[in-house]
Amino acid sequence: MPSRLYDWLDSRLNLKSVQRTLLDEPIPGGASWIYVFGSVTLFLFVLQAATGMFLALYYAPTPDHAYDSVRFIETEITFGWFVRGLHHWGASSMVVAIGLHMLQTFLYGAYKKPREVMWMVGVVLFLVVMTFAFTGYLLPWDQTAYWATQIGINMVGTVPLIGDFLSRVLRGGEMLGALTLSRFFAIHVLFLPAILIGGIALHLFVLRRVGPAGPWTDDRASLGSETFAPRQVYMDAVVIAAVFLLVATLAFSIPLPLTDKANPSDTSFVPVPEWYFLFYYELLKYVHGPLEPLATWVLPLCVILIMLWWPFIDRNPVRNPIRRPVALGSGLFFLFVVFGLLGISLKNLYAVPRTDPAVAQGRAIYAQLGCAGCHRIHGEGGAVGPDLSTIGDTRPDRAWHLKHFRDPQSVSPGSFMPKFPLTDQQLNDLTSYMLSLKRAT
Amino acid sequence: MSHQEQPDHRPEGGFSTPVGSRRTFFHWVTVAAAAVVGAGLAVPLLGSLISPAFMRRQRAWVDVGPVDELPAGRPTQLDHVTTVRDGWLEATSHKAVWAVKQPQGEVTVFSPICTHLGCGYRWDDAEKKFLCPCHGSSFDVNGQVLGGPAPRPLDRLPAKVEGGRLLVMYQDFKSGLPQSVEL
Ligand code: FES
Repeated sequence: MPSRLYDWLDSRLNLKSVQRTLLDEPIPGGASWIYVFGSVTLFLFVLQAATGMFLALYYAPTPDHAYDSVRFIETEITFGWFVRGLHHWGASSMVVAIGLHMLQTFLYGAYKKPREVMWMVGVVLFLVVMTFAFTGYLLPWDQTAYWATQIGINMVGTVPLIGDFLSRVLRGGEMLGALTLSRFFAIHVLFLPAILIGGIALHLFVLRRVGPAGPWTDDRASLGSETFAPRQVYMDAVVIAAVFLLVATLAFSIPLPLTDKANPSDTSFVPVPEWYFLFYYELLKYVHGPLEPLATWVLPLCVILIMLWWPFIDRNPVRNPIRRPVALGSGLFFLFVVFGLLGISLKNLYAVPRTDPAVAQGRAIYAQLGCAGCHRIHGEGGAVGPDLSTIGDTRPDRAWHLKHFRDPQSVSPGSFMPKFPLTDQQLNDLTSYMLSLKRAT
Repeated sequence: MSHQEQPDHRPEGGFSTPVGSRRTFFHWVTVAAAAVVGAGLAVPLLGSLISPAFMRRQRAWVDVGPVDELPAGRPTQLDHVTTVRDGWLEATSHKAVWAVKQPQGEVTVFSPICTHLGCGYRWDDAEKKFLCPCHGSSFDVNGQVLGGPAPRPLDRLPAKVEGGRLLVMYQDFKSGLPQSVEL
C-alpha cells in the first residue's frame, strides 16, 4: 500500500528523480563515521526547533510572567520538565556537534578550494548558534539569566564609539527589562530561526554544488565512490539516535532548577555563564584596566574574522594534516587556549562550594523565624535549644527533619520547640539548610 | 566493523554502493533509528501539548464567616474570596453568595447567578423574593421559581458548618437549562 501510494505520487510529481538527487549523492572514498557531525548538527537544530515550539505554548515573554511560566512548565505540565531539559541539553549538544563538525572539516582541509564559501557560511551558522544560546539564556528570567545577560551586554558596551549605542539597542533602552526580554524572545524564536534556516539551505546548496570533500589523499583518481544512501544515511541515523538518547538521558536525570526570580536590585548575585561561554568569562579575569577592551571585543573580533577568512589565509593546497604543520599548529594552539581557559574556569568554579538555592532559602527562613533565638550555629544564637552546627552529620535523615518541623513533639517527646506554620516548600528548604550544616571536611 | 573493510561491492558506474541483503540491513537500521527518535520525541511533546486538557480546577472550601451572625430565614449576601489559578497566573476571585439560615440551623447557599441567562439577582426584603433585574424572574426564599422566564430553581452550592464557621465551595452552572449542570 505505501509503495502504491508512492508510485501514484511519483507518477504525478516525478518523485524518483528527487529521491535520486537526495540519496544518490556520490561520496568520494565511501561513507565514513567521521562524516556524521554535519547531519547530527542538523538533527539537533530540528530537535531545538521542535522542543522550542512546544515550550512556546506556555512561555510568556514578560518580566511579570516569564519566571512563573517557566516554573509552570517545570512543575505543572506533564513532561514539561523533560521538554525543557531536551531543549537545554540539546543546546549544549549542538555547540559540541558544531565544534566536532568544524574540527573534522579543519583536520581534513575540507575548507580549501573549492569549498571556501561552504566554510564561511558555516562560520556564520556557528555565530548564529552562539547568538541563539545567548538570547535563550535570558528567557527564564531568573537571577542567573538576568545577571549573566547584564554582563554580556555590558561587554558590548566597551566597544569604542558605538558600544553605548549598541548596548542600548540590545537592551531596547537604558535598562535591562521588559523591552530586553521581549526582543530577546523575538530574536530567539523568530529572527534567528529564519536566519539559521536560510544559512543551512545555503550551506547545503554549496555542498551539493561542490560535493563532499572526501579523504585527504592526493591520489584522488584511485578513490572509489559510494552513494549517500544507504550506508552514510545509516551511519548518520545511528549516531543521531545515540545523540538523542544521550540528550534524553541527561534531560531525564539532571534537574534544571531555576534560581530566584530576577531581582535587578540584588547586585550581590554572581552569575555563571553556560559552559560554552566559560572560557571567555575566564579570559576577562586576566585583563584589566586599559587593556580590557582587548579582551572584550578586539580579540573576539579578530578571532571571528580569522575564522571567517581562514580559507584565504591558509592557501596551502595540501589537505593531508601531516603536511600542513602551520595550519595544524595554529588550530591546536587555539584549542589549547580555549580548553585551557575552560579548564581553569571549571576548576575555580568547583573550588568555591556553590550553595544549593534551597539551602540559601532555608537559611533565610531560619533567620526570618528567629530560630537563632534558641539555637546556636557556629557560636551564633541562643543556647536554649540544641546546637545545630553539625546537625547534618548527627541527624542526616531528611524524613526525620520534615516530621520534626511539622510537629516537634512527635519525634522528640518533651521538646518545647513550637510548631511553625510552614508550606511544604519552606519545610523542604529549611531541611536542606539543616542537612547542609556539617563539620568542615 | 571488520565486514566494512571488504563490502560486497558491485562496481556500477564507478560506485561501490552496497546491494542485496547488506542494503536491506542498512535500510532497516535507519528505519529503527528514526522510529526511536520519533517516538522519543512524540510522546513528551504531545504529552505536554495535551496536558492542560486534563487539569481539573481544584475547588476549595472557603470560609465565608461565622454562622451565628446570619439572621434566620432572611437571605444574606456573603463575600466568597478565593485564589484562582489561571495557568501560571494567580488571581483573587471575589464572589458574593446568598446564604439562608434555616430555622433548624442548617444553611442553604445559593449561587449568585440567575438560572435564566446569568444575571446577578438580589433579595427584596419587602416582597420577600429574589428578583432578577434582567428579565424579571423571581424566586422564593428556598430558591423555587415564582415567576418569569427562569427554567429552574436557584442553584445550590455545597456548604457545611465547621467550628461555627460557614464553609462554601463555589461552582458555576450552565444557564438556561431545566436542570442544574455544573460547568
Ligand atoms: S437572567 Fe435573570 S431573568 Fe433573565
